[in-house]
Amino acid sequence: MTVFKTFLKVLNKYKGTLILYTVILIFFAGFNIETNDTGTDFVSSKPDVLIVNQDEEVGITKSLVHYMEDHSNMVAIKDTEEARDDALFYRDVNYIIYIPAHYREDFLAGKNPVIVVKSTGDYQSSLAELLLTRYLKLAEFYQIIEVNEDALIEQIETTLSKEPVVEMTSHLDRNQLEKATRYFNFANYCILAGCIYVVCFILSSFKTKGVHKRTIISSTNYKTFNRKLLLSNALFAFVLWAFYIVLGIILVGDVLLSMHGIFYAINSFLFTLCALTIAFLIGNAIANKNAISGLVNVIALGSSFLCGAFVPMEWLPDKVLAIAHILPSYWYIKTNEYLKGLEVFDMDALKPIICNMGVIVVFIVIFIILTNFISHKKQIQK
Amino acid sequence: MFFHNFKYTFLTLFKNKMLIFWTFAFPILLGTFFQMAFQDIENSETLHTMNIAVVKTDTFENHNIWKETIQNLSEGSDSLFSTVYVNEEEARKQLEEEDIIGYLKLEDTPKIVVKKSGIYQTIFKSVIEEINAQELMLNQMIQNGDFAVDYSTIYQKIEEITKKEAPILNISRANLSYTMIEFYTLIAMAALYGGILGMTALNQVLANMSHNGKRVAVSPVSKGKLVLSSILASYIVQLIGIALLFIFTIFVLKVDYGTHLALVLLLALTGSLAGLSMGVTIASILKTSENVKTGIIISITMLGCFLSGMMGITMKYIIDKNIPILNKINSASMITDGFYALYYYDTLDRFYFNIVSLLLFATIMVVISIFCLRRQKYDSI
Repeated sequence: MTVFKTFLKVLNKYKGTLILYTVILIFFAGFNIETNDTGTDFVSSKPDVLIVNQDEEVGITKSLVHYMEDHSNMVAIKDTEEARDDALFYRDVNYIIYIPAHYREDFLAGKNPVIVVKSTGDYQSSLAELLLTRYLKLAEFYQIIEVNEDALIEQIETTLSKEPVVEMTSHLDRNQLEKATRYFNFANYCILAGCIYVVCFILSSFKTKGVHKRTIISSTNYKTFNRKLLLSNALFAFVLWAFYIVLGIILVGDVLLSMHGIFYAINSFLFTLCALTIAFLIGNAIANKNAISGLVNVIALGSSFLCGAFVPMEWLPDKVLAIAHILPSYWYIKTNEYLKGLEVFDMDALKPIICNMGVIVVFIVIFIILTNFISHKKQIQK
Repeated sequence: MFFHNFKYTFLTLFKNKMLIFWTFAFPILLGTFFQMAFQDIENSETLHTMNIAVVKTDTFENHNIWKETIQNLSEGSDSLFSTVYVNEEEARKQLEEEDIIGYLKLEDTPKIVVKKSGIYQTIFKSVIEEINAQELMLNQMIQNGDFAVDYSTIYQKIEEITKKEAPILNISRANLSYTMIEFYTLIAMAALYGGILGMTALNQVLANMSHNGKRVAVSPVSKGKLVLSSILASYIVQLIGIALLFIFTIFVLKVDYGTHLALVLLLALTGSLAGLSMGVTIASILKTSENVKTGIIISITMLGCFLSGMMGITMKYIIDKNIPILNKINSASMITDGFYALYYYDTLDRFYFNIVSLLLFATIMVVISIFCLRRQKYDSI
């Protein structure tokens, strides 16, 4: 009990760090997880568009503006060119359309007026350009056969309203699963940093010269002492994992109470165990507290950046992913990514998950062997 | 005495391994991570060729407009589609295995089958709508057939319109790489972390902070000279760190700082000065341990970098848009915005505004420090 009480006392000193990591997790993985994918029915993506209309909003100009409004998210930006440029750079808007003065007049006169645009050059802006192009070309088509403006607009709008039938084969709630995956991917950083930081600092506190000497001369058997310390740390890791699971259920929703949720939980539990063994390895190898804080940042940030915790795995270059294979985080995140597209839970579908989890178990075993090797070597040196 | 203290402060700072790790090595490491993670993001966000399938039906085979348009859109290395023509069973199989993003089945009406919603699926649907619209329009004209101009002329005109570009003129700026902001915040972080160097150096001459400071306090040397030489030494160390970071980001990470090299240097010097003055102020006004002071400098720096977009590029924009005053007093944001202005804008008004803001910030910090440090005397300590 004495060991556990001391453990809790030291842990209490580092509660601020754990709170900080949790706040980061809530902020980035909880509130910051907007997804384009929506529910079980097909929903068209909408680019963020701004229209700067210098013409009167009547006739063909009005029709064009309404068409773009219906098929895009219209963004409100301060009415200055600098604000628009900033919005474009920071992707608040994907496409800015400048409708020139007298556009309607010139169009009806057959002058084919040019529309100036600014775009981010990404696929959202390509979609916006596709919408604008379609309208302009249709307008040009119908102008050949229709002279009356109202009839022309009616023709354009009737043609534009014809949509193909869209069938969606997957009926997974991808929105929720995407959120869950991003949450658990981001948790990679918090679990890794939280575990290593706290466990290493606790081990280092117990190894402080005076404390260590007092422990050696105490009546407590060193084996009992080590076992209790190990159990206390394992309990801490378990509580941390359980807390993040509960937090996940609150932030992500009831998808975590389904079969998908069970596998997300098992995967994160294994990863927490792995983080614990990494922490033990570092805690045994290094006693300098300053060096530990540097190492925590390098390991946790490095693993998270290279393996896709912060940036989705599909956006990472192949070379980076090839390097990431040597890190446990890669296998943990790979399972999360696989889970979001999993529809059935039969043996064939589960094989990749079991394989990834097997690799994490191998990492755990390697870290335990390394820890024992280092502590054995240190004891011999003493 | 000035050079003696300058030399030994300089050497002491360089021999402090943890200090050098956080101010020199950590920004370089973080920059490497940023580069590894972000190098492909913008490329992933541009439109790539979509793999689609078309189900071979009699309707499709008999409709030239569909056949030709899909074929045209699938030609060339940078085509919109990469199309396979298969039966429905094969198309469904390929969709399940995610080899294609969707397939088209043309019978009485066009039908597209996709696995999930998404931007590529929407673009696919949008293109199908466009071809459908063209066909509808042609049919309409054939059915009407009562217009004055002859059909072949109109058909020719329509073909011409289909093939030519829409009257759209794109005037976007070339420098639109938003991931650059991450590297700018990195420079801001390194500049502000320089405050730790200033604080550490100053602590060595403060009687209430170190034994060295006590000895200095009783020595018959000008305190002003000592403080000034310590601060200058830490500024030089800080500039060496920033220079290394610049060399690394420019030559290894290929970060684009724009074309005004002299102005980039001016911003780096001013930003470092702001960081240093912040560290000196914290060292002067707070009567607490070095660790707590370091923690405060790191916290202020990281909060500033967070607000200027280090942990999410759009954060700076959100703050600028909704609470602009916050970033006007945030030195990390001034540095980031200065680099952004050099990279993105042709004019220099915004850049100079940030330079003046940083100088003002540094002046305020220095004035506060002077008021705290002047005539400091201890009867006993």
